[in-house]
This record gives sequence, structure tokens and C-alpha cells, in this order.
Amino acid sequence: MKPPPAGESDFGRAGLAAVVGLLVAWEALGRLNVSMFVPPVSHVAVAWWQLLANGTLVRAASSSLASLVKGFVPAAVLGVAVGLAMGRFATVRHLLNGWVNALMSAPLSALVPVLIAIFGIRDTVVAATVFMFSFFVIVVNTMTGVRGTERSLVEMARVFGAGEAALFGRIYLPAALPAMMLGLRLGVVQAVKGMVVGEMLISLVGLGERLIYYGNTFLITELYAVIVSVLLIALITSQLAQVADRALIRWK
Amino acid sequence: MVFALRTASVVAFLLLWEWAARVPISFNFPSPGATLMALIALVRSGALLSATVTSLQSLLLGFGGAVVVGVPLGLVMGVVRPVGRVARVYLDVLIALPTAALIPLVILSFGINIASSAVIVFVFSAPFVTMNAYGGVRDVRPRLVEMAQAFDASWGQLVTRIVLPSALPMVMAGLRYGLSRAFVGLIVAELLLSPFGLGRLIMMSRSMFEHDRMFATVLWTLLLAGAALTALARLEARLLRWRA
Amino acid sequence: MAAPAPVPIVVDGVSKAFGPVHALVDIHLRVRAGEFLSLIGPSGCGKTTLLKTLAGLVPADAGRVVVGDRVVRGPGRECSVVFQDFALLPWATVQKNVEFGLLLRGVPAAERAGTARRAIGKVGLAGFEEAYPAQLSGGMQQRVGLARALAVSPRVLLMDEPFASIDEQTRRLFQDDLLRLWSEERKTVVLVTHSMEEAIYLSDRVVVLSPRPGRVQQELDVPLPRPRETADVRATADFARLVDGLWKILRKLQ
Repeated sequence: MKPPPAGESDFGRAGLAAVVGLLVAWEALGRLNVSMFVPPVSHVAVAWWQLLANGTLVRAASSSLASLVKGFVPAAVLGVAVGLAMGRFATVRHLLNGWVNALMSAPLSALVPVLIAIFGIRDTVVAATVFMFSFFVIVVNTMTGVRGTERSLVEMARVFGAGEAALFGRIYLPAALPAMMLGLRLGVVQAVKGMVVGEMLISLVGLGERLIYYGNTFLITELYAVIVSVLLIALITSQLAQVADRALIRWK
Repeated sequence: MVFALRTASVVAFLLLWEWAARVPISFNFPSPGATLMALIALVRSGALLSATVTSLQSLLLGFGGAVVVGVPLGLVMGVVRPVGRVARVYLDVLIALPTAALIPLVILSFGINIASSAVIVFVFSAPFVTMNAYGGVRDVRPRLVEMAQAFDASWGQLVTRIVLPSALPMVMAGLRYGLSRAFVGLIVAELLLSPFGLGRLIMMSRSMFEHDRMFATVLWTLLLAGAALTALARLEARLLRWRA
Repeated sequence: MAAPAPVPIVVDGVSKAFGPVHALVDIHLRVRAGEFLSLIGPSGCGKTTLLKTLAGLVPADAGRVVVGDRVVRGPGRECSVVFQDFALLPWATVQKNVEFGLLLRGVPAAERAGTARRAIGKVGLAGFEEAYPAQLSGGMQQRVGLARALAVSPRVLLMDEPFASIDEQTRRLFQDDLLRLWSEERKTVVLVTHSMEEAIYLSDRVVVLSPRPGRVQQELDVPLPRPRETADVRATADFARLVDGLWKILRKLQ
């Protein structure tokens, strides 16, 4: 099942107005002391700066990003490979389709305790969670891309004498590329979510651990600061993915 | 032929699992047989049922809220363009954000109770439900609107006879995706909050090293989510019979 | 280098069924070397299936196809195909698209580039080498398809409703260009079409197929003088008579 279209954020004036409006409202609500759980945005900014300065954020973020890479790269490589195989060979598709579809929309976080049982309470669990969260999206999208190759292109290539290898390399693969890139973009977003969930559940290292810690110790401004940092990482990775996508697919 | 392959893959999975239980990956891996026994025991003792009921309460509250708030909001966003353009920015951020990061904040604000888990489920699912309703309205074919206007349709008729039916497929897709997100939020919330529902059962079993119970509960949870989503998909198919 | 000589095609008792549907039944056909032949018939008469059999894309259940002196068992080097939906690689430029057939046949890069450029010039698209298909109109895209087909110097040109997705004005200009290219470099051409007028205008002979099961219903000679693209053939009484004759045959099949 595909998530709703990841719309290009046509940021523009509406976007700017929305963000500015939010910041102003946030600051006002904070100063009015509406709730102890809504500090003014200026206090959050200060806390963020302090956390950055004393190295907490950098330490936590590096651990998080390391797990992200360790989990996403294998998910991307394996995901594309499996997706290509499933798209090209009906046998493979029928064998694996049920599992892939079921697991793609499943609450995979339920499996994290299983991962903890296997790996123990270590940061490998985070990488494994990242892998789990992103793998299936990548497989499904890649497979859809290969299956969506226009038959007339395949026929045309066969007419001009293309063998299996040429068909695969020059027709199926390029035709599947946009869908593959979409899968990777969606996979990155899922990977970041997996990273946070995994870290929160093992509560050992990374930004997820900081979230639990500040929550438990009622350090509200610090908690917000980490939430903002997580959001920044999510936005930056998603933007990078979009840039890569645009760079690779110039012909649309 | 397809059926044979699918059965084969399930059999292969069970065999793999059985093998994994015997190989010492860690002490902790229960075999399929042991898991099944634990599942039966859990059902008999009533623990599974009460945990499921508790979890479903949070789910219904949270997801129900997401639908009741999200669908109308999305529709309004689609019809009143300026609202749509501004609100969309917030929704895009909420969708991009790893929602789990907000859980500690919600727990702090609402305490450790069903309200918290319901709110978490809401936050996980509402943005998607809303965005899909918004998309559904926005993607209504202008030609259909033009046609209705040519027949001098009133504004109300346009909305009820053109916009809503056109938007329905996307709204339903949003509900399906929102439900799967709701389950995700529910489980993460309960694994962290602990005193409630299926998440609590999972964590408790793990901390007591009753891995067969843990596996059984995890399996049950996944099956529950699968069943709920399939039911929704069936409903969708019935509502949208006109689709090719 | 002189273009290769055209070859004849012999279709000997070809039948093809897809499950319970008999697309073609016992087709006997001879195409002379260098002849321009059109295949026409109501929807479902199997004309595209027959073309694909000639191209080696679809194996016949019974009978055989002989192109030149080779029995067709798969796609071969003497045939080139032009497709109704153009079948251009959307991710490649016009130049790369036209080079595609040559690339698959292992022609070295420099020679490929030169041959492709010449073909692009011949179809009137000089200057568009670096454009992408998405930037071109339907007529231009099909010219790329034709250039690609001609670049590999085929002896036989198979065209599957090549002008169906192109507007009328562009189509007429394209048809004249096709005739001109064909008169310069004679090939055996088999063209599948829905249009009676097009069949008569372009061909030496028209073969009518009947629908399910597909059989050769009738053959019609087109004795109009060539070159036709320079004369005002469509306005002549002979042309109208031939089109009407073809229509009467087709009408009985509906």
C-alpha cells in the first residue's frame, strides 16, 4: 500500500506565512504560560544552542546517523535487488509478494522487542530497525517500476536483437529507475522513523535515547530542542533524497 | 500454480523459523511450536483478550478522532484553497517528522493513561487521513465540475454529487493508510508507555524472559493489524465498486 | 555503401491461436522483393499478429514464414519495425534512440553516431539530435522511430499502424516523405493500417484480412503510377474508384 503522494513542498508565500505564524503563536503561547508543557520558542532555541555547544546533540546525532546509514544502505541495496528480481521473474514475485505486502503496512515496531531478544540491548538493534522499516517500501516500489515497463519497448528491443542481458540493462532497469528512486526516497523517510523508534525502545544511545531521558527528567525545553533536531534531520535527509532523484532523472 | 508457490513460501518460512530456534542465535528464540503453545495459553488465561480490548480502545479513540477531524478538515482544505495552502505546510512537516519523537511530550502532557495512547494514535494517523482527503478534493477532474455547471448545478449539488464521490477513492486510501499508521502509533506508544494493552504484554513477557509469550503476542498483534486492514480494504472495495 | 537489396517474403500456411481465440488461420501470402504491401481489415482480424509473425516476435503455431532465404525463428537482422506508439526510450536523446538498433548489433561508437546522424537527417529531424522524446510532437517522435528502423539498413520494413497516433495533416506529409525515402532505397514494406485511403495511396497491393478467425479474404492490386507523392493522386477518379472498391470488400466483413 502506498502512502499518499509525497508532494513537492511548493513552499512559497503560503509556506513562509505558515512557518512565521507558527513561530509567533508558539512564542506568544509560551510567554502566556498556557501550560508548563509549552515553553516559548525562544527558550527552546536557547536550550538547543546549549545542547549543541556542550556536544550532547553532536554525540547523539552522530550515533543516530551512523545507525541510519548502517541500516539504510543494506536495505537499499538488498531492496533494489529483491525488487528487480520480483519484478522480472513471476516465480519470485509469487513466492515473496504476500510477505512483502503484509510486512509493508504492518506495525513493524512490534518486531523491535524480537530484535532486542536476538541482538540484546545494543545499537545494532537500531540499524536493524532502520533496515526493517525501509526495506519493504523499496522492494515494492522497485518491483512496481519493473513491472510497469511498457511492453512495446521490450518488443522493440527484441526486434532489434536484444538478448536477456541487454533487455535487462537497457530497457527494464532504466524504465524502473523513477519508481526505484521514489522507493528510495520513501525508504529514507521510513528509515529515519525507524531510527527514532529503535533508539527510543532500547533507550541506549542516539537522539531517541535523549528523547526518553529528557521526557523522564521533565527537561521540557531540552526535549523540544531534541524534537526539533530530529525534525531537521528528517527534513534534510528527505531533501537530499529529492536532490538525488532530480539529478538522476533529467529526462522527464 | 500461484497458490502452490504461496503455500511453499509459508512452509519455507516455518521451516526456517524452526531451524532458527534450534541454532543458538541466542538462547532466546522460541520455536513455532512453543510459540503456538504460548499463544493458546495466553488466550485461555484471558490475558490476550483483555490486552487486545485495551489496545483496541486506544486505537478506536485515536483513529476515530483522526477520521472525524481529518476527513472534514481535508475536504475544507481542498475547497477553500488559501486554507489548504497554509495548512498543507503544517501537515507536510507532521508527515515528515518521525512521529514517535513526539511520544515523550504527549506522555508528559497527558500522563500515563489511555488518553495518552489515544492522542498518540491520533497524531500518527490524522495527518495522512487529512492529506489524502485534501488530495482527493484537489484532484477532482475540472471537466466534471464544468459539466455540472453547464447543467446549472448549485454549489451544494456540486459538492455532494461531484466533489465527494470523486474524492472518495483517495479518502478511502487515506483511511487505509491512516489505519496502518494508527497501529504503528499504538504499538510504539504501548511499548513505551507499558502499563497498557498488547504493548505491555510484549514488554512484560520480554522482561520476564518468557520469549515464547512475547513472540506469541507479537504474532497476534501483527495478525490483528492485518485483519483490521483487510476488513477496511473490503469495505473500500464495496464502496468503490465502480472503479475498473 | 550501397543499401542492401530488398528480399521477398513468403508466408506459408501460417496459423496462430491465443488460447481459444484463432487470430490467424492458414495464411498464404507472397510479398515480392521491393513491393509495398498493406494489410487491412476490421478490428480483431489478426493483422498486427501477422506482422509480429513476420518480425519473429510471435512464433506461428503452424506453417512458416520465410524472409529472403531464411526461415523466421526469431527476430532477425533483415527486418526493422516501426511501432504505433513509437516505442522510443524516454530517457534517451533522439541521437541515442536512433543509435539503439546499431548499439544492440555491436556497431562501434563512431560509426554508430555517423549512421544515426545521417538517418536523422533523412527523416527531416536534423538539429533535433539532443532533444528528448517528451519534447517532440507525435509526428516527430514517429520520424525518430523511422530513423531508428532505417539506420540498421534493413531489407524489410514492417510498420504497425505507424500513423494512427498522428494528426491528419502531419500524417499526409509523413506519408509522402515515406514514399520518397522508399523510392530512394527500395525495401520490402509491409504496412498494417486501418485507413483505406492510406492503404491505396501508399501500396502496390492491399491484402484484406477477415476477422476471427483471421484469413486472407481478398487481394487488391493498386496500379496507380508512381511517383505518387508529387502528383495529386488523391484527387483522381482512379483513386476514388479503388478506395470505393476496397470499402465494398471491407463493408461485407463488418
